[in-house]
Amino acid sequence: MRNFFWIFSFSIFVFYPFQTPSFAAERAVSSISFQERAGYGFLIPDLDGSYLVAVVNSNGIDEGIPATGRARPLSLCQKDSYEQAEDEEDFDDIPMGEMEGDFIRDPFESINRVFFYFNDKLYFWILKPVATGYKKVTPDQFRVCVRNFFSNLTMPIRAVNCLLQGKFVGVGSELLRFLVNSTAGMLGLMDPAQTALKLEKQDEDFGQTLGVYGLGPGFFINWPFLGPSSVRGTAGLVGDMFVDPKGWIRLDSGEWIIINGFERVNTTSLSIGEYEALKKAALDPYVAIRDAYYQYRQNRIKN
Amino acid sequence: MNKLYLWVGVFFFTCVVCIPIPAMAGEPTEMIRKATDRIIAILTDPSLEGPEKAAERKRLVREAVSDQFNRREMARRTLARHWQKRTEEERKEFIDLYGKLLEQTYLDRVEGYSGEKVFYEGAEVDGKYAVVKAKILTAQATEIAVEYRLKKTSDDWLVYDVSIEGVSLVNNYRNQFNSIIVRSSYKDFIKKLKAKVEKQ
Repeated sequence: MRNFFWIFSFSIFVFYPFQTPSFAAERAVSSISFQERAGYGFLIPDLDGSYLVAVVNSNGIDEGIPATGRARPLSLCQKDSYEQAEDEEDFDDIPMGEMEGDFIRDPFESINRVFFYFNDKLYFWILKPVATGYKKVTPDQFRVCVRNFFSNLTMPIRAVNCLLQGKFVGVGSELLRFLVNSTAGMLGLMDPAQTALKLEKQDEDFGQTLGVYGLGPGFFINWPFLGPSSVRGTAGLVGDMFVDPKGWIRLDSGEWIIINGFERVNTTSLSIGEYEALKKAALDPYVAIRDAYYQYRQNRIKN
Repeated sequence: MNKLYLWVGVFFFTCVVCIPIPAMAGEPTEMIRKATDRIIAILTDPSLEGPEKAAERKRLVREAVSDQFNRREMARRTLARHWQKRTEEERKEFIDLYGKLLEQTYLDRVEGYSGEKVFYEGAEVDGKYAVVKAKILTAQATEIAVEYRLKKTSDDWLVYDVSIEGVSLVNNYRNQFNSIIVRSSYKDFIKKLKAKVEKQ
């Protein structure tokens, strides 16, 4: 009996995240409901002041797909589209879920924006000048080799996460890549596994594994130095530290900073101009990066 | 028994051979391929090289690009729920400003062209919507996945969204614009957009 109790409570803990819609429907009784053009829905207040939105489209009932999502309170309470239903340019022809926002919650926006400013200055004042100088004194090919070397080292992260996601072909591919690139590829400086054998690198990490298991991103966190992340992404980074070979060697903090700093400068030297372009194209660079991070990660989890 | 294997084999073989052909040679893919080839030809044209020809080059690229996009559709999807509250003049103004912003962004990026190769991986067509998938291979051997989203209007397939490594341009701008509009007002947002477009 006691065992049963433990299994029961454990399964609630595990499955709760998957069941938000049905829980939401229960809570909806005591919350705001609204009527839309061809359907109805509920707004369920959530802990952080945002609202969980459940919309049931009466046309959609036969397909049986209620739409759920999150929105800030304003976005739906203010809807006055009811009167404008005759608008010739209705959104009816647009596939469901494509229009109404898919975005990451950001309850700590003000702190995140401070760190965004900090990282921005870090890039323009330190990282970019150093990387530009480094780029001037080293050939492109050398920097690609350095990138390959570091990337080859982190094979265990990718292989373990392929395994955790049940991508067994990926595990084999990663192990084979490591074998080939560490030998024929001269300690991973070259990537003959990709160029000659067409073995693609499997970009999997623990954050994606958690996503595949059904964990949501939580909320947005913009770390100083590390940049955009989420609760899930941060948990992933911590998880990956255990299988990162760089963590297996005992390093004092000076050595750690030098190695990681060098890797960062090398990576930056290969992508100078990308951050600038993104910033230039954006009306609000912070929101642009937050959204790009979220969309990029969601896409990685799907693949 | 052996014969059965043979037939199964033949069946799968024909499936593999036949299915990709209509998908690959689809109209939307051809449209994207043609436009991309035309732009690359302009960018690699030796008679258009050098900074003194930059204006001419930009003009030609702008011409080649602007026919391929459905600006109104892009604008509508970007403003999303704010679109319906706008008057026709406001919509026209927004389409114009947003088009300019996108144009600048695109022209800036394209100016940095350095021999990237484009591979087409086929298209998915669903009624009047289509997605064309492509891969860009950079000089540093990095692969970038690009998706063009198209909609058929009258007889043409026109692009209404581009997504790079899963990051959709329209979604990204929608979230930026929405956050500004919700926080202040549409008027304020247009002021900001105008300043941004005029600054460049």
